[in-house]
Amino acid sequence: MSKEFRQSITGIAMVLPSFAILLIVVIIPIIQSFIMSLSNDSGGYDLSRYMYLFTDKGMRHNIVFTLRITVITCIVVMLISYSLAIYMRFNQGPIVNLIRKTYMIPLFIPGVIATYGLINLLGNHGWLARMLEVVGVTLPRIIFDEKGIIIANLWFNIPFTTMLLSSALSGIPSSVIESAKDIGVGRLTLFTRFIFPLSYKTFLVAITFVFMGVIGSFTAPFLIGANSPQMLGVSMQQVFSVFQEREQAAAIAFFSFLLCSVLGAFYIRSMAQEEKGRI
Amino acid sequence: MLKKKPFLSLLTVVGLSMSLLAGCGSASDAKTASSDSSAAASSKPVSFNFYFTGSQNVKDLWDSLEPMFEKEHPDIDVKMVYIPSGTGAEPTYDRIVAAKKAGKGSGDIDLYEDGIVTVSQGMKDGVWAQLDTKDIPNLSKVNTNTMKDVNNYAIPYRSSAVVLAYDSNKVSNPPKTLDELLTWIKANPEKFAYNDPSTGGSGSSFVQTIVYKDLPEEDIHNSDPAVMEKWSAGFNTLKEIGPFVYGKGIYPKKNQGTLDLLMNGEVSMIPAWSDMVLQQLNEGLLPDTIKMQQITPGFNGGPTYLMVNEASDKKEVINTFLDFVLSPEAQEVIVNKMNGFPGIELSNMSSEVQSKFDGVAEGFRTFNIGDLGTEINKRWQSDVAAQ
Repeated sequence: MSKEFRQSITGIAMVLPSFAILLIVVIIPIIQSFIMSLSNDSGGYDLSRYMYLFTDKGMRHNIVFTLRITVITCIVVMLISYSLAIYMRFNQGPIVNLIRKTYMIPLFIPGVIATYGLINLLGNHGWLARMLEVVGVTLPRIIFDEKGIIIANLWFNIPFTTMLLSSALSGIPSSVIESAKDIGVGRLTLFTRFIFPLSYKTFLVAITFVFMGVIGSFTAPFLIGANSPQMLGVSMQQVFSVFQEREQAAAIAFFSFLLCSVLGAFYIRSMAQEEKGRI
Repeated sequence: MLKKKPFLSLLTVVGLSMSLLAGCGSASDAKTASSDSSAAASSKPVSFNFYFTGSQNVKDLWDSLEPMFEKEHPDIDVKMVYIPSGTGAEPTYDRIVAAKKAGKGSGDIDLYEDGIVTVSQGMKDGVWAQLDTKDIPNLSKVNTNTMKDVNNYAIPYRSSAVVLAYDSNKVSNPPKTLDELLTWIKANPEKFAYNDPSTGGSGSSFVQTIVYKDLPEEDIHNSDPAVMEKWSAGFNTLKEIGPFVYGKGIYPKKNQGTLDLLMNGEVSMIPAWSDMVLQQLNEGLLPDTIKMQQITPGFNGGPTYLMVNEASDKKEVINTFLDFVLSPEAQEVIVNKMNGFPGIELSNMSSEVQSKFDGVAEGFRTFNIGDLGTEINKRWQSDVAAQ
């Protein structure tokens, strides 16, 4: 047995256990639900369940609604988190320390509790409405509306994303920034030519996480979303356990898996390109 | 030594992941094995599985009844499995039937609690055991007519009804009939709310009462899909009041969702379960100004039943448990803890309890429309919510 051969065997054997778990808890269930989603009412196999996803008015609204919430959340989370991370990286002082100490807090509050907190804060007769009433401002409807879902998603996603981006930004050597500044590079160029390219990879990771987290979210949309349109997760639960249409629920599940895998494929491709570039 | 290390860690990784995978499969086997052995050894307590569903108040009830029972009977262990409403209580029944069809005995579900729909479905499928006063002495305290309705296949151990809950500060003259209620809703925009019917019984009762408003009385005991054609008028009414309910068409989730709105004053009238309203009044969660009113024809209501799985091999201990549930002490807990109507006849209860229910326990109707309930929810989602 040559050394290389032994090493490669060891390598494969090291990967096998995790692959087995992946196979059993992810890949096989996906294939199963795909097969289930293909069966129609009369017992045969066709794409009628998927046709329904796009022909039923309510369902079509659900899909568009889910994508809109997801895209808006991704953009807003990225804007806020990136500015927070950059602010914390390049500034010092009591404010930075305060943000650094507190921005993680939402991660430690359970989702249901945070959601009820938001309902109490932002509801029609919530604290915020009562406080603003004094100055004569009437709040628009936030709870039972898409604004509420987006706000809840921001609360859940900003801390982790900020954490990811801060660690990426702290990896940028100060010497690079300083020497760029020395030769008179403006702030905007500094960002577009140095900071962003150097943290681009983490940016992509973060956006993937936010996208997948939001598209599959359930607790917040279930509790503060309107009855229609619904996020796909809520609709899936309703179709599965209330209407008892397991095949239709499987079709929705597989469709949202497809949506996620588009971003996943994009992410893996850019990672692979980077690896190749390094070699 | 150093060379061996990768293999050592490899072995650990393989071992760990194998045990993880193995753990997934064998957990259920281990459970059945342990319950078998406990049945065999008489020194250990005999256990049986009790599945029940409902809102938090039902769970609180059983959480207080179970220790009472196990204190009296240390040799019996009740294993309770709580399934929150709206999260798939139906599959529990499906599991019972599946286990029967597959010849697998009780499917580990010995005792089950549900409404009349499941009782009659199970009588058709032949999965419930017929109960006898010989085995359960306290059964004689239950109204004989109620027992005759279900052919002694189930025990109505408590009842509750959906009523209109309203804030008497804002509504001085509550509607007494369904038509008056509809007029009231239109006259007071955004002051009425009912919850998404697929997430709780009070909203579902409101929707069903409207859908069956102008249909003959016998249709509410009919699960024939042909009735569905007569629903259009009812759904049109629901669509019509859509712009007049809370938030011009917002239907909160779960029974508690509308109660929360009533609590903070966003709406002044909702359909709600009588027991939930009474309990939250007692706990001071709802202000004292909240009153209840039943309308005619009445909202959905009725007993909740306990059914014994015919295939269960632990009927003896279950009978002991059922006898306890029907005892005046346990029924008193139902009344005090849950504000439910007792399952046994009022004459068996203390005079204090008797006066509490003077004339309240009447006026509700029992809907028995089988799978059509799901169809109504489905149609509600596409016709009313997504309009």
